[in-house]
Amino acid sequence: MGFFTRTRETAPCTVEISHRFEELSAHVRLNNGAVIHPGDTVQVQGPEIMAAYGEVIRVDRTATITRASGLEQIWTRWTGDFEFMELCEFSFSEEVLS
Amino acid sequence: MNMHSSEAATAEEAIAAQEALPPLDNDAATAVAMQNTLLTPRFYTTDFDEMDAIDVTPVRDEWDALIAQMKSDPNKGHFKKTADWDADWENMDPALKAEFIDFLISSCTAEFSGCVLYKEMKRRGSNTDITTLFQLMARDEARHAGFINDALREAGIAVNLGFLTQQKKYTYFRPKFIYYATYLSEKIGYARYITIFRHLEEHPDKRFHPIFKWFREWCNDEFSHGEAFALLLRTDPKLTQGRMNRLWIKFFLTAVYGTMWVRDHQRPEFHKALGVDPAWYGQEVYRKTSEISKQVFPMTLDIDHPRWRKGLDRLQDASVQVARAKKRGGVGGMVSRIGGMTKATLAFVSLYAIPAIPNETPVSSRMEPAY
Repeated sequence: MGFFTRTRETAPCTVEISHRFEELSAHVRLNNGAVIHPGDTVQVQGPEIMAAYGEVIRVDRTATITRASGLEQIWTRWTGDFEFMELCEFSFSEEVLS
Repeated sequence: MNMHSSEAATAEEAIAAQEALPPLDNDAATAVAMQNTLLTPRFYTTDFDEMDAIDVTPVRDEWDALIAQMKSDPNKGHFKKTADWDADWENMDPALKAEFIDFLISSCTAEFSGCVLYKEMKRRGSNTDITTLFQLMARDEARHAGFINDALREAGIAVNLGFLTQQKKYTYFRPKFIYYATYLSEKIGYARYITIFRHLEEHPDKRFHPIFKWFREWCNDEFSHGEAFALLLRTDPKLTQGRMNRLWIKFFLTAVYGTMWVRDHQRPEFHKALGVDPAWYGQEVYRKTSEISKQVFPMTLDIDHPRWRKGLDRLQDASVQVARAKKRGGVGGMVSRIGGMTKATLAFVSLYAIPAIPNETPVSSRMEPAY
């Protein structure tokens, strides 16, 4: 990791989506033990994964991890705490209606 | 279909049930011809080693009792639609419908974000006290999100989980801030839901959607999640003592209360339909939350201070100005927006500067939902 430069790597991952009445959840698990640090971004490759209502889906994909530069990591450590509001039900959501 | 985690008798079974999900079947996944709303939860990372090092020994008895209660899953059968579910979206006033849907989507996003966060903690940790707690909380949040999702579907709104294949940035939360923020969000969530529920008990004619009937048991889940964080905070007194921590706790309280005020005032039709004055509702929720939070926080905000209400109103006015300026756009819009944000910052500083009321936390923190 450079102080100003980002690096990229890929990791096998498993995406799980539960789109059911009893449970709505979605998770990405990296399967090679890669650890995500503050400021890193993760993108699951391939087409959008859709689970129809009532379904549970588990898909193996590849994820691209873009490692934050040293500067970005410090910045995220300093400022990340301010994003806590998301956990409140009355937070300003950025939902996009299409 | 495999056993669902909510049917599991023990947390170990619940964990196994969640992990032994059915094999993938992507063929059946089809796009739905509904209005789509993209869920946009945030993704967090934290100092997992620090979190793993938590030792609940000082609060062991209370901890075990709480975990046992959560494992027994008193609300397992609660989130089912019964004959009491009498939703009537068609005859709902369009303005009310829009605000109510917005309310449901933000609730769903919050439950979902909580679920993502808790599941991540569970996955990354190795301290079984902590991972069991997070697994149980993730179970509840996923269940709540599923319930709201179903209510949204009836209104023709489908959530889109496409964010998974979008680029997601991981932000950072210090462990103690996770405790402060989640503790507060769970307890204020309880206060919000129970206040609406009690109000509608007295005014059943104002209950324009059946989901409110489910609020009492629902918010008991929020309450016990808050209890768990209260215990975590009490494992180490240093987490809530000291000048810096006090300043941070006061900051979290002020930010959460202020945001709630602004956000609720953006839904006039929703509150009118419930027969609730958002200002009354805000103060009522703050009062309950402050009373509950005396179990761990070294202070409460002085919500009866003469500057409190004025500051909230100024924050509200500033947010209206920012929203209008955003819509207007252009240079004039930008200038007005900067002006609005400056006003909002000043209003926040003024609220933050109101002296807090010191609080001596009790020896044992355990509480039961009493409102």
